[in-house]
Amino acid sequence: MTDVVVTTGLTKRYGSVLALDSLDLTIPQGTVFGVIGPNGAGKTTLMRLLVDVLRPTSGSITVLGMEPRAGGKDLRGRIGYLPGEFHVEPGLSGRAHLKFWTSISPGDRTQVHRRAEAMAERLDIPLDRPARKLSKGNKQKLGLVQAFMHRPELLILDEPTSGLDPLVQQTFLELVSEARDGGATVFLSSHVLSEVEQAADLAVVLRSGSIVREASIEGLHTTAVRHLRARLSDADAATVDRRMADVAAGLDVSVEGEDVLVSGLVQGHADDLVKALARFTVADLVLAEPDLEESVLAMYSGKDVP
Amino acid sequence: MPILIQFLRAGARNLLIWAVALVAVMAMYLSFYPSLGGAASGMTELVDQLPEGMVKAIGYDQIATGAGYAQSTFFGLLGFFLGTAAAVAWGTRAVAGDEESGMLELTLAHPVSRLQLVTERTLAILTRLTVLGVVLGLALAAMSGPFDLGLEGSHIVAVVAAWVLLTFTIAMAALMGGAVFGSRVAALGIGAGVGVVAFLLNALGAQSEENAWMSDISPFSWAYGERPLAQGWDGGGLGLLAALAAVFVATALLAFARRDLRS
Repeated sequence: MTDVVVTTGLTKRYGSVLALDSLDLTIPQGTVFGVIGPNGAGKTTLMRLLVDVLRPTSGSITVLGMEPRAGGKDLRGRIGYLPGEFHVEPGLSGRAHLKFWTSISPGDRTQVHRRAEAMAERLDIPLDRPARKLSKGNKQKLGLVQAFMHRPELLILDEPTSGLDPLVQQTFLELVSEARDGGATVFLSSHVLSEVEQAADLAVVLRSGSIVREASIEGLHTTAVRHLRARLSDADAATVDRRMADVAAGLDVSVEGEDVLVSGLVQGHADDLVKALARFTVADLVLAEPDLEESVLAMYSGKDVP
Repeated sequence: MPILIQFLRAGARNLLIWAVALVAVMAMYLSFYPSLGGAASGMTELVDQLPEGMVKAIGYDQIATGAGYAQSTFFGLLGFFLGTAAAVAWGTRAVAGDEESGMLELTLAHPVSRLQLVTERTLAILTRLTVLGVVLGLALAAMSGPFDLGLEGSHIVAVVAAWVLLTFTIAMAALMGGAVFGSRVAALGIGAGVGVVAFLLNALGAQSEENAWMSDISPFSWAYGERPLAQGWDGGGLGLLAALAAVFVATALLAFARRDLRS
C-alpha cells in the first residue's frame, strides 16, 4: 500500500504565528483519514498546503507522489477539495456553478457533468435558484458536489458536514464510503469528534500545529469522555450512588423532588453505564459529547490506549 | 477559456448598467451642444472669461468645435471618471476581491493555474471595456448628426480605442495591486491612484512649458494628448498605454504565482 499524502517536518508560519509545527503525517491510500482539532489547531492550514493555496515555510509535502507546487494544475485535477469556508458566486445559479466546475474539470466532461447533476439530485439541491438565495446547507451541498463530481483520487474535505442536517450527513457518509470503495483516499477534518468517528478509519488529533495523538478510531472511541445527565424515578439515592460507583467514578448523585439526578463525566464505552442505569426507571437520559478541547485534554492526559 | 467565460457571465448585469450609465451621461452632455450654439456661439468668449489654467486643465480651449466639446466634456471628464470607476472595480474584483471573499481559494484548488486565472481575467476585463467602448462609439456616431457635432467615423474609432486602452491600463493597475498584496484596499488604492495621478499630471502639464514633462509621463495625455477625436489615431500614445498595461500584468503574474493566497 502506498501513501497518498506524506509530510515531513512541515512547518507553516504566518509572521510570528506558528500554524504548523514540524508536522510528520502519513495518509495511506484507500483510507478515510480524519484530523480532529479545535479551531485554530492548523487543520485548515494543513489542507490548504496540500492543494498549493499556501506554500510551506519549511519541510516537505508529497501528494499523490508529487510536490504540490511542482504538480500544479494536473495534480489538483486528481484532488477534490472542499474549503472550510465555501463561497459561491452570488448572482449565478447552482446549475451555472456546476457548468463552470465541469468546464475546469479534467477528464470526460460530459460524464463529469452527468455525475454532478445526479449528485445534486441525490442531495436535493435547488439548482435554478441564484446562489445568494441558497441556505447555508444547500451551499455546502454544492461544495460537496464540486469536490466529488470528477471522481478524484484524493478528497480533501475541510469541515465537510458543517451546516448539513442529520439526514444529509448520512448521505455524506454514504458518499465517503462509496468514494473509498472506488479506490479513493479521503482526508477530512472536523472539530467534532463523533463526526470523524462515524466516517474515518484512522485519525490524528491536532492541537496548536502539532499532532497530539494518532490512533485508530476504536482507540479514540475508548478514550473519549462524555457528559452524563440522567433522571431516575422510583429510586433511592444511596442505592443509585452505590451502583453507579461500580461503573464510573466521581459521578454526582443528588435528589430532586421524587427523582434522583446523576451527572458527571464518563470515559470509555457507554455499555456498562447504560446497563447500570437501566436497573432503575430512567425518566430522562442525556449522554452528550463534550467540546473537543475537553476530549483532547482527556485523551492527552488519560491512559494511553493503543 | 472557462475562467474568462465565468467572469463575464458573473458580471453581465453589471456591464449592462455601466453601458447604460455611460451612454446616458454622454447623451446628456452632448445634447447641450446645439443649444450652446456650437462654433458660432458666444461660447469662445465665455471660455475666455474663465481662468486660463482651468481652461487648459480640463481642455476647454477646443470647446467650440464638436470634437473638442465631446472630448473635453465627456471623454476627458465624466466619461473618463466613470470608465475609471468601472475599471478599478473590475480590476479589484479580478484577484483581491475574490481572494478576500474566499472564492479564489476554491477556483485555484481546481485544475486552474494562477497564470491562467490572471490571464483569463485580464482578457475578460479587456473584453468588457471593449464592449463599453463599442457601445460608446456607436452612441457617439448616432449622436454626431442630431447634435451637430460633425465627427468623423475614423476619429470616433480612434477616441474609443484611446478610452478603452486608458481604462484598461487603470484596471490592470488595480489587478496588479491585488495580485501583489492580496488586499482589496491596496487594489482599489493603486487603481484609483493611477487614474487620478494620470488625470492630474495631464492637467498640470498643460499649464506651462516647464510642466510639459508631466504630460509626457501621464497615461491620460498618452491617450488624449493628440486629440484623437479631432485628429484621428495616435499610434505612439496607444503603444505607451499598451506597454504600461503589459508591465502591470507581468508584475501581477510574477507576484501572484509566488505568494500564499490570503483568506
